[in-house]
Amino acid sequence: MRERAIGLSIFVIVIFVALTGAFVFWAIHSPAQVQNFLIRMVVVTLVIFLTIVFIRYFALLWFGYLQHSESGFSEGEEATELPPVSIIVPAFNEEDVIERAIESLLGMDYPTFEVIVLDDGSTDRTLELARRWEGVGDEVEIRVLTQRNGGKARALNAGIRQARYPFVLCMDADSWMEPQTLRAAMRHFSDPNVGAVAGNVKVENRDGILTRLQALEYVEGLNMPRRAQGFIGAVNIVPGPVGIFRKEALEEVGGYDTDTFAEDADLTLKLVTTGWKILYEDQAITWTAAPSGMLDLIQQRYRWTRGLLQAVGKRKKVLIQPVPDFPLWLSVLETAFEAILWPAMNVFAHLFFAIVALLFGMGELLLYWWVLLTLLDLVIALVTVSMEEEDLGLVPYALIYRFFFILFLDVVKTFAALEEFLKKKNTSRPTPVGDRTDSPGPQSTRL
Amino acid sequence: MSIIDILVTIIIVTILVTIVLAVITYIAYKLRLARRPSPADQPEEPRYFDLHRPPADAGSPRTGTVDA
Repeated sequence: MRERAIGLSIFVIVIFVALTGAFVFWAIHSPAQVQNFLIRMVVVTLVIFLTIVFIRYFALLWFGYLQHSESGFSEGEEATELPPVSIIVPAFNEEDVIERAIESLLGMDYPTFEVIVLDDGSTDRTLELARRWEGVGDEVEIRVLTQRNGGKARALNAGIRQARYPFVLCMDADSWMEPQTLRAAMRHFSDPNVGAVAGNVKVENRDGILTRLQALEYVEGLNMPRRAQGFIGAVNIVPGPVGIFRKEALEEVGGYDTDTFAEDADLTLKLVTTGWKILYEDQAITWTAAPSGMLDLIQQRYRWTRGLLQAVGKRKKVLIQPVPDFPLWLSVLETAFEAILWPAMNVFAHLFFAIVALLFGMGELLLYWWVLLTLLDLVIALVTVSMEEEDLGLVPYALIYRFFFILFLDVVKTFAALEEFLKKKNTSRPTPVGDRTDSPGPQSTRL
Repeated sequence: MSIIDILVTIIIVTILVTIVLAVITYIAYKLRLARRPSPADQPEEPRYFDLHRPPADAGSPRTGTVDA
């Protein structure tokens, strides 16, 4: 397997370098007429690329703004009805964080809820530590169940079966919630067509450049599109660390499937397929730990990309339906766009413009392109950070956000997508519960 | 060299270095993944205690002395 992995990687790189070299050679030795044509093509490509970026940015910002202005939640606001909720916490080897997660739930500002901690065959003290909390809450019942290790999707399904209340909140054991989360999210369920509400995931560990870039990505690249999608009731991914579901909807679609690496995206698409509306609530806040090492980050994005493509692959016919179900079509298209179309286009555009700038002396054009996109990133970062009342210190990271962080991740996603298309066996394990690189609602949804 | 040329150089170098770095990191990730034992290769550890069956002669009293 190791030889095959190396062989495939080398093959792809060699082909890519050879094609690039051939293009460069051909461009240099072409007659002036051909070179002029190439330059025109570069300008046209640049304009198309920028147009797509701008339209996407402003559409997301506009719909995000509309969602924000329409569904503002203020603390102390009373919903007409606050139905009881079952909170499911799947956990595998989470002895360091499980108690913090449970403690945060006990501080939840909500009248009636139960907590089901589902130990997925942990080999550390997770089960023992969780059991200490049984019977601790006066008004909250905490149940701790254990099962043979079977992965996150199975653990969540087991938790859903055990849930006694008509609404279910699924979270990760390595996350903790703010007290207003349930109250803010549950008001949306007064609409009987709402099947799920996606919460707002934030990065807790901001102790390095990589994690701070991810914190900005979560605000600018994840929550903003989700907010815009929420305006039309078609959020394409309810994130793993905080998703609130109508139990009836979960039962209707059969819970989580175990055949993808992005079970949350897959479940969300199943809900959209059956006609449920999926909304977003920015005050349903959960803090989670982001990967702090480069290889762990790559593993996370690799899994997300392949998981998203698997989820899209199960519904690819939707994309070519003559009369599409619009919310479903949009959700599947958005997921495919995020998983492969945009990353591949982004890598190609950067490489193409860099090479052309070198070949034809179009450096100034490249500079203006960079300045324009970076200014746009700065503005978007400022708007989204302000909208979420986040740390303004994240905004300067927009300077290296696109040309380093996003480009870096997009190269990885392109490779992951290639492997998925080649149906290469994924040698990583099924989504484990509580793995820092598991799928918390693939954060690849981004600008 | 003008300031624009310097900026252009920085941008181009950043783009190319980032892509190369990403490719190298991706290969490193695949190597790390390939070196891990796959779940299928791992012997499944017994989850429950096995009944201990003492050897046939275990019940016979030991003889001899223990060296001090």
